[in-house]
Amino acid sequence: MIIDMQSSEVPRLNMSSWEIGESRYLPGMEIKKLGKEKFVVYIGPQHPGSGHMRIIIKVDGDVIVEADPDLGYVHRTMEKLSEGRAYIKIIPLVERMAILDACNATLPYVEAVEKLLGLEAPERAKYLRVALCEINRIASHLYGFGIFGVFLGHSTMYMWGFGDREILVELAEKLTGARLTHTYPIFGGVRRDAPQNFTDNLRKAIRYLRKRLEDYRRMFLDNPVIRKRLEGVGIVSKRAATDLGLVGPNLRASGVEYDVRAVEPYEAYDEFDFEIPVFEEGDSLARAWVRVEEIKQSLRILEQVADKLDKTKGQQIMHDRFWAKVPPLYKKVFEAEGRVKLMPLFAILRVPKGRAFARTEAGRGEITYYIESDGKDKPYRVRIVSPSYRNAIMFKYAIPGHRVADLPAIYGSFDYFPPEADR
Amino acid sequence: MSSNDQLKNFSEKLKENLGDLISKVEIHKGFILIETHIDKVRETAKKLKEIGFDHVKSVTVVDRMKDGVFEVGYHVSSYLNKDLAKYVVELVTTVPRDKPLVPSLTDIWLSAEFQEREAYEGFGIIFKDHPDLRPILLAPPVAELKPMRKDFVVKEEGIYRELPKKENVSSKVSEKKG
Amino acid sequence: MAYISIWTLTRDVISTVFWGIVKLIFWPPIYQFVIIPGLVAALVVVISIIWFERKAAARVQMRYGPLEVSPKLAGYLQLFADLIRYSFQEIIIPRTADIIPFITSPFFALLLSLLPLAVIPVSPVKWTWPLTLSAMRYSVLIAAALTTLSPIFIVAMGWASNNRFSTIGSMRESFLITAYELSAIIGIFSVVATVHSFDFTNIVNFQGGGKWLGLINPIALLAAFIATLISTSAFPFEISDAENEIVAGPFTEYSGLMYGVNMGTAYIKRWAMSVLIVLAFLGGWRPYIPPPNAGYIAGYLVPSLIVSAKAVVVMALMSFLRAVYGRYRIDQALHISWKYVFALAIAGFGLGILEGYLL
Repeated sequence: MIIDMQSSEVPRLNMSSWEIGESRYLPGMEIKKLGKEKFVVYIGPQHPGSGHMRIIIKVDGDVIVEADPDLGYVHRTMEKLSEGRAYIKIIPLVERMAILDACNATLPYVEAVEKLLGLEAPERAKYLRVALCEINRIASHLYGFGIFGVFLGHSTMYMWGFGDREILVELAEKLTGARLTHTYPIFGGVRRDAPQNFTDNLRKAIRYLRKRLEDYRRMFLDNPVIRKRLEGVGIVSKRAATDLGLVGPNLRASGVEYDVRAVEPYEAYDEFDFEIPVFEEGDSLARAWVRVEEIKQSLRILEQVADKLDKTKGQQIMHDRFWAKVPPLYKKVFEAEGRVKLMPLFAILRVPKGRAFARTEAGRGEITYYIESDGKDKPYRVRIVSPSYRNAIMFKYAIPGHRVADLPAIYGSFDYFPPEADR
Repeated sequence: MSSNDQLKNFSEKLKENLGDLISKVEIHKGFILIETHIDKVRETAKKLKEIGFDHVKSVTVVDRMKDGVFEVGYHVSSYLNKDLAKYVVELVTTVPRDKPLVPSLTDIWLSAEFQEREAYEGFGIIFKDHPDLRPILLAPPVAELKPMRKDFVVKEEGIYRELPKKENVSSKVSEKKG
Repeated sequence: MAYISIWTLTRDVISTVFWGIVKLIFWPPIYQFVIIPGLVAALVVVISIIWFERKAAARVQMRYGPLEVSPKLAGYLQLFADLIRYSFQEIIIPRTADIIPFITSPFFALLLSLLPLAVIPVSPVKWTWPLTLSAMRYSVLIAAALTTLSPIFIVAMGWASNNRFSTIGSMRESFLITAYELSAIIGIFSVVATVHSFDFTNIVNFQGGGKWLGLINPIALLAAFIATLISTSAFPFEISDAENEIVAGPFTEYSGLMYGVNMGTAYIKRWAMSVLIVLAFLGGWRPYIPPPNAGYIAGYLVPSLIVSAKAVVVMALMSFLRAVYGRYRIDQALHISWKYVFALAIAGFGLGILEGYLL
């Protein structure tokens, strides 16, 4: 599409004119000219190897020459819906994009609003947030491993990944009361305190997972068949990863050392001791290894968090500004059960005018929120860019040149999650 | 406070480097906003890339209906330069709502490709010389409504309400939508 | 008087009918094709093996496997439930499919994958041989030739479905056919070189006293084993119907009973190949030697059950690999089968010739 910038005419904004002629085509249903030996295959959206998305590939024999990712099958217009709802109601809305990573997905939103409100969560609330974030991160990686395994026909990895994820989901349930959609961080703090024996359970889970990671290596990552499928497949160079703007483990597998937790430490991450695993190879195997190493680092953080939680027992988990306005009954309940009911003052919360940008490192990579407030009880604009959405561009650039059979290997290694990408 | 001083120093440096290209530098919460005229967007972007801002985090379009403009912003940052990675810079330009023509920055920052497509379908902003400008998340008939604009109001379904009986319900609903 | 004569008459009739039925059942072509090791045994074995496969994989994967249907039998009846479901499901034939090959191919593939079982001896007793004596001398040759027939119909299925995933699947299948068949046949024929005979009976008799050809010539056994894995799309080589890549490969458009038949065909083929491997390498009905004038039970049923039991062990081993390995890519599988398995088969054949010269 070429438009003359200088012409005074108002350009035609008819979307249907982007294809041949004037007739309307839905994506993937256009009439296109193909080479004699070419073949178009629609992978998805109802396909065991694609998730809720479609990749339209053009193949020459068994080799893919062109790939066109077609997203949006689970698009829920979160940005638009956010403009019409109270600030507190947006948290349960946006966490639906990545329910296995719910805390990480909502945290930057909460942080951005906190920046606008000019407040910071108390110390214990920060530790609790970090604890849930890391639990979510490990759970998200294990889920990714499960899907990756089944894409390669390795059903054992699938069952192991999903089975061991259950431990983390149950930990999250003990902490927040919900298995997946926690809505845990709220403005100025967290929704409730950790239960009595939470840190003991956490330590037990850490010990168990350390043992299991060794099994994963033996069964999956060092399996000769799996290695053969992954080594040298879907290579993304350092340069390409930077240009495409990939995020998270996929970026770090290509040799770029970038992790929001280290670059711009949020919450209490600057107090913890951890490393950022970086691999230089940039192939599918490296992407798998980065995840394993990251789980190890997350376990290290969780160990430190458990100590900190023991130290700060009984401290406040809500910012003074809100805590001061709380009815006495709520305070009594908190003292007795460590539970804070959601306060009614959040429903009429007005956020001062301004713009805020917040980023955090979610399980699949960096997630950013831009929030603009015009002083009312609803935001003027919320812009969400999720990690999978930024990774989606690699389908277009990393897949061509590979075989059809490599598609699941590459797709699985990128840990792409359609609901998160479509938002 | 020290981080605030850092931000100020950094924005001063940016001003020096970019010179006449930008009209305004503001420090916001979490990012630095630099505004430029639409004719200078590409030049500024090239300069920013030379400085080391190598990827786009978010293409953020804000519909300022009262002023009659769209604010097209590119939140950029760096992966390879660790000092720059601490800052997020938003390169902002404004275009009139009735003629939303913006030069595409996809050839400078490839990472903007899909997000420009999203801005195209949501707001109807046309990115000149974009290699592949078509809707990404929405189907074309929906994209034609430009649903992200402020004058497109979402009708919430509200609480459950009974439809009138003894009539073809589905045709009623489709009529209302139409 | 009359009472007695009626009684004798009834007795005569009953005994004639009974022995007639027994004779019919144990008539070699019927017995081997339909009962053991043919259709009935194959079905029972396939169902048990699938059950075992699921249970074993479940044990590795920290779960129960089939359980809800018949918890007391550890979910054994689940497969029968599946079978019933398949048989009552609607069969959908796409409008664009080529109808006659589409409908007939699955059944031809099933029948032809059973055929090798009808030409092999499962007992040394002469009357039990399904072919004439002169034909029996070439039973290895005939059986090996018959194993190569069924894949053609799998390719035909994919082509008749007129679906892109089916086309890719049948293309992969046809690549694999050329890759494994040679290795499988050369692997089995290395036994012929050792024994100097195309007759399975001679080959089995040669293996008396624990002198199994699989122990003498393990290379050829390995080649035949891997080639069987490839031919029946068992796990590291489950390529032509890889679910996550091409839905169900050649079987994408099949539904209901026809899909069930297709799924069964691969297992039945694995069963037939296992029986051949048992006869060629693992001593057949040995160590049991039936008396020369043995009847139905001692001369036919017992040796055939011994062969089946050995074949079940081989098949269980093949199925267990599912829990351990992922799947190869098509070019990697071709690479493996041409570069390593074929070389292995040739080496096995060479070893077979050498041993034939020495022994």
